Amino acid sequence: MSLAQEHYRIRKLLEEENVLFCYSGPMNEALLPGLGQLVKQKIAVETDHPGTVQNVFSILVEQIQNVIRYAEDRDTQALGQGTLTVGRDGEGFFVTCGNRVEIGQANRLREKLASIRAMDREELKAMYRQILKGEVPEGSKGAGVGFVDIARRSSQPIEFDFIPIDSNYSYFALKAVIRPN
Amino acid sequence: MENIKIDATERTPAIDFNFADNRFSMRGESYPEDVPTFFGPPLSALESHLRGMQAGYVEFDFEMIYFNSTSAKVVMKLFDLLEKTAGQGVAVTVNWRFAEDDDNMQELGEEFGEELQAATFNMCALR
Repeated sequence: MSLAQEHYRIRKLLEEENVLFCYSGPMNEALLPGLGQLVKQKIAVETDHPGTVQNVFSILVEQIQNVIRYAEDRDTQALGQGTLTVGRDGEGFFVTCGNRVEIGQANRLREKLASIRAMDREELKAMYRQILKGEVPEGSKGAGVGFVDIARRSSQPIEFDFIPIDSNYSYFALKAVIRPN
Repeated sequence: MENIKIDATERTPAIDFNFADNRFSMRGESYPEDVPTFFGPPLSALESHLRGMQAGYVEFDFEMIYFNSTSAKVVMKLFDLLEKTAGQGVAVTVNWRFAEDDDNMQELGEEFGEELQAATFNMCALR
């Protein structure tokens, strides 16, 4: 396959998945404002609902900051490696993010996300408040205010998945869907 | 106490703490690279200013466009502090200013407003 063929194949694949934006590689705080503004601009062209633009942006910020803080996949500069996509989902949009996590951490994360996924709007609101007030002990089931925020801004329950990569690591992916309300 | 005035950046809010007039405000977007570094100094200055107050008037304006979940902890801390100050006998007014069409900020304002009983809370929709 030629260089252009190979590249076009990747691009086509993203288009087939309705991806509007994709980033894969090291993530740090300096990346965030530029990338966030760019995605905001792109989504604003696609929808005239400002709340939707804001929710896509917010979820992107929480996803990237999670990778920066927790990804167990650091290069020599200790940068978290992540893959982020933003795309079309019918009338709305999706934001997915994936990164490598250490297996023990994956198990804790799975439990936490399962409990957040099972909560209704009122329970998520109560959990958000409890965490902000510091009433939820660190490491307890629902803790992780970023994930609760993502769940609250999503129009449907968050999707998440883990697959084993090797004896030490799992690959973790999270998807949020945002529709105009 | 020396007044604190910090200009907004694309990821940090403008902070205007006028201790002489007891007028305080926070405006803009908030997803700082390091939340404790950014908010630590103004927050502790405000805490020590309000700690001993038992009378008078304090007004705090929030006019946020966006804040991330880590900054939300700071907003909650400020609400707790303002409510505590009102409990000490100070007339505290908190104004939550938001763009009229911003449902997210309106909802967040209503939620944070529930934290206040002794303090007066106003929702202000901006056209």
